Amino acid sequence: MILIGEDLNVMSNAISKAIKEHNAEPIRACVEGQAGNGMDYLDLNVGPQKKDPAQTMEWLVNTVQEFTDLPLCLDTTNTVAMEAGLKLCKKKGLVNSASGVRESMETVMPLSKKYSAALVLSVINDAGLPSDADERAGSILESLEYANELGIANEDIWIDPVLMPVGVDQRQILSYMEFIQMIPDLAPGAKSVCGLSNLSYSAPKELRGLLNRTFMVIIARYGQDAAIVSGFDEELVRLNKGEMPEIVNLIHRAMDEEDMDISALSGKEQEYVKTTQVLMGKTLYSNSWLEV
Amino acid sequence: MALKGAEIMKMLPKTNCKECGCATCFAFAMKLATGGVKLDDCPYIDPEVKAELEGAMAPPMKLVTIGAGQNAMVIGEEEVMFRHEKTFFHEPGIAVLISDKESEPDIDEKLARVKDLRFERIGNVLKVNLLALSNDSGDGGTFETLVKKAYETTDFPFILISEDTDILFSAAAMCADRRPLVYPVTNENVSASIPKLKELGLPAGVKGESLDEVIAVTSQLKDAGVEECVIDPGSRNMLDGIRDQTLIRRAALKKGFRPLGYPTMTFPCFMCRDKYEEALAASALMTKYAGIVVTSLTEKEFIFPLLVHRFNIYSDPRRPMTVEEKVYEVSQPDENSPILISTNYALDFFIVSGAIEEANIPAFLCIKDTGGIGVLAAWTSGKFTGEAIAEFFKKYDVENKVKHKKLIIPGVAKKLKDELEEELPSWEILLGPSEASDIPKFLSEEWKV
Amino acid sequence: MTYEAPLEKHPVNIREVVLGEGEKAQKIGGENTFPFHSFEGSLPNPPGLALEVLDMQPENWATWALDPFKDVSSDPVEWARKGVEEYGAEILCLRLLSTDPMGMDAAPEEAAKTVRKIVDSLNIPLIVLGTGTEDKDSKVLIEVARACSGKNLLLGPVLKGNYQEIAKAALEHGHAIVAQASMDANLTKELNIALCKFFPPEKIVVDPTSSALGYGMEYTFSIIESIKQFGLVDKDKMMQMPVFADIGIECWRTKEARESAEQGILWEATTGMTFLLAGANLVVFRHPEALRLIKSMISY
Repeated sequence: MILIGEDLNVMSNAISKAIKEHNAEPIRACVEGQAGNGMDYLDLNVGPQKKDPAQTMEWLVNTVQEFTDLPLCLDTTNTVAMEAGLKLCKKKGLVNSASGVRESMETVMPLSKKYSAALVLSVINDAGLPSDADERAGSILESLEYANELGIANEDIWIDPVLMPVGVDQRQILSYMEFIQMIPDLAPGAKSVCGLSNLSYSAPKELRGLLNRTFMVIIARYGQDAAIVSGFDEELVRLNKGEMPEIVNLIHRAMDEEDMDISALSGKEQEYVKTTQVLMGKTLYSNSWLEV
Repeated sequence: MALKGAEIMKMLPKTNCKECGCATCFAFAMKLATGGVKLDDCPYIDPEVKAELEGAMAPPMKLVTIGAGQNAMVIGEEEVMFRHEKTFFHEPGIAVLISDKESEPDIDEKLARVKDLRFERIGNVLKVNLLALSNDSGDGGTFETLVKKAYETTDFPFILISEDTDILFSAAAMCADRRPLVYPVTNENVSASIPKLKELGLPAGVKGESLDEVIAVTSQLKDAGVEECVIDPGSRNMLDGIRDQTLIRRAALKKGFRPLGYPTMTFPCFMCRDKYEEALAASALMTKYAGIVVTSLTEKEFIFPLLVHRFNIYSDPRRPMTVEEKVYEVSQPDENSPILISTNYALDFFIVSGAIEEANIPAFLCIKDTGGIGVLAAWTSGKFTGEAIAEFFKKYDVENKVKHKKLIIPGVAKKLKDELEEELPSWEILLGPSEASDIPKFLSEEWKV
Repeated sequence: MTYEAPLEKHPVNIREVVLGEGEKAQKIGGENTFPFHSFEGSLPNPPGLALEVLDMQPENWATWALDPFKDVSSDPVEWARKGVEEYGAEILCLRLLSTDPMGMDAAPEEAAKTVRKIVDSLNIPLIVLGTGTEDKDSKVLIEVARACSGKNLLLGPVLKGNYQEIAKAALEHGHAIVAQASMDANLTKELNIALCKFFPPEKIVVDPTSSALGYGMEYTFSIIESIKQFGLVDKDKMMQMPVFADIGIECWRTKEARESAEQGILWEATTGMTFLLAGANLVVFRHPEALRLIKSMISY
């Protein structure tokens, strides 16, 4: 799976401060840390960026590119900032993101075309977030059609089915899984991508990584191509590289509802199995799912 | 829809010819499942498969229209047993029962009253939908007089009720352009009813003493080409009604049992000992699947809770309920009245405006469109920030509504206070209570101009 | 096509919880099917219908809400007695409003004395509710638990921030508790898991919090329905506790209930009926007429 590190994010106070003060050092640490951990892309999340959008994005893109050769994923709802960043990307960038919302199709999609950047395209449309797999398919087909007409090929489109927190609506997780398996048929050539950490939003902080990692293994099996992830999670990278085959295998067996003697497993293995069961919708989620 | 896209896909020719306008057959199947395209658009589908697919794609519960034009009542085509699984789609009809045995002045008064049973609630009109006209006199002329009067003086759709099939259909012929539901169509009169139902193009109110009897009648109607039915399984107490309607809906939705794949009608008017019980039975039966409830109630105090109940249960749990963005005037405020601001999440609006009314202090309530999300989430997503609220103030000229410059904001939005002090420097920003229920106390103790 | 009634059987039961002690004790829960579905399962206990009593003179109540008790509203013991003797309540719910730190802020010992007096003069199942203020409630309810040791009261609301202290006292003195988590099945489960580490599950009733007709009733309705489905259909042991709905306080603060007596009674009764249909096992009413209506309708 292609991993996009998410830690350059204005929601982090340190990063937000560094960007405001044009202080390169904290940015360097964040870039080098994620790159060193094996990220394939870096996400630059500057939020809505109401003040000096162009200058801010320019400074950030230039600064990041001083420290890494990795391609960038520009994450902003501000199209001025987006365009300023795209102009400076040395490698083919990723626009994060457009959706089926009319305004987004009209303002963000053309930027992807103009700068030959790839495009994250979410299933959200004017009616909001689709509620099941078929609705997601219906929505994405319409916005894909629009993108294709603009001249953006499927190969440049990364479909984001929108991953909801497991603590908000567990059924959404199941329809997420159903939907990613449809993507090769719906949009041959397109990739799938998601904001993996959103899955564990509102879960206890120390358990978020476990949820995220388990889900990564699950959706990798269903053909997920890419994910925006916590760039410093080493176990996640090892799982992704195939360095922990026994855990991957265990998660697959739990997905297949194989009978297993949980008590015979190690503590860590038990955690992965229980987490898989929750994410597969076998048991109702609660923040204390490991304690049952 | 009855079929998922992936299931439809299995029956398509898989040519990926693109002639339908879709990139792949799979894309076509998905669009078909969500109603974006028609099966006819596929040029290579085998006619036999097409017929099979059409059958399978038909909703498991029929859509039935009673009445015509803008007052038509559409019921049925429900998809779930529990509203949290998706949503309930078509609000049940509330029908007011009027008998041709009632005196003329009584009838006139009732008709007038029923017309007034309309209420506004967050931009929606809540109203009674149907008149159930009942031939209790046994006399054709008397019944026709009632139907004629209702036809001429109201624009409600009708349910026509008569045990005498001839009287029933001659009355139906008088108002066929309004597409009444004729009731009862039973085992005894179904053969005689079929030609008339077809001639007049009307939906049938099927009554059976048991579900087996109902099935016999709907099957016969279906074979004869009468597609629209509403089922009365004959239950005449609330708990039996709940049982029958639960089984009917389960059979239709979970077993795909077509002879019961219709909306239902129930008669709380015949189940109860007093008005209170009747109102409660009606609301209970609407919760548990009725397509139509027939009631004898016409008083506002009894009908209004029923209307609000229906509005609540049939709201779509997938979308937040919203109210219109504007400056609401709660209990006629003046230039010295307090100004509060909140989101357009309907619950927030109700609770805050209710609390202001309870406080007995008139106020302006600014409602900012946040897409129906609450204060904190809206602040995080930029829809309820200092900047957004400053724009709102300009747009609605809030400044000129009052003489003072004090704005009360929700107590949970502490960071918003700083933002607003920056964006609206001439205003004093007061952090209100975190709980709306503390608003009366807050206003009575803290509010001074 | 031949018709076969599509009956559904569930191999598990909602837990049975006993309220009160002695002859007049009542059981709630215990069913293995959806509410009123006696045609396909067993419902050994009818829903508990409780009548609300305040421990202080109510302020700002609609006239018709206060009318049934206006002669006794300053004396919680007499209020309780009238509820039982005149209006036939079989369960009472005493709200210790006097302890509200934003209001009178009465001492825990004072409140506990009132509870004890009611327990002594009327031996019927009693729910005792604090004001939802975590710190104060834990002091008050612990005191109540002690003062009424062995009486098997139902104490609540027990929240994420005070469950340990209150549940410990309830366990020690033999009471049941109301575990409250607002409008969220996941949080309901989380609190139950935490409680069940040291507290018996058959002494827990869950409260997803209630909203009135027109003011979010549908949210409560759906959360109760889904809790019951998790328990019965998905067989989730942590979701098999009976459900509690405290509706009087919510219904009677609406402007619609304050418009007329008829509408007020129906506002409360409709909300109560709706939650019973969703699967609530214990409902607290404020108006005796609303309670009477519901009782007569579900038992014929």
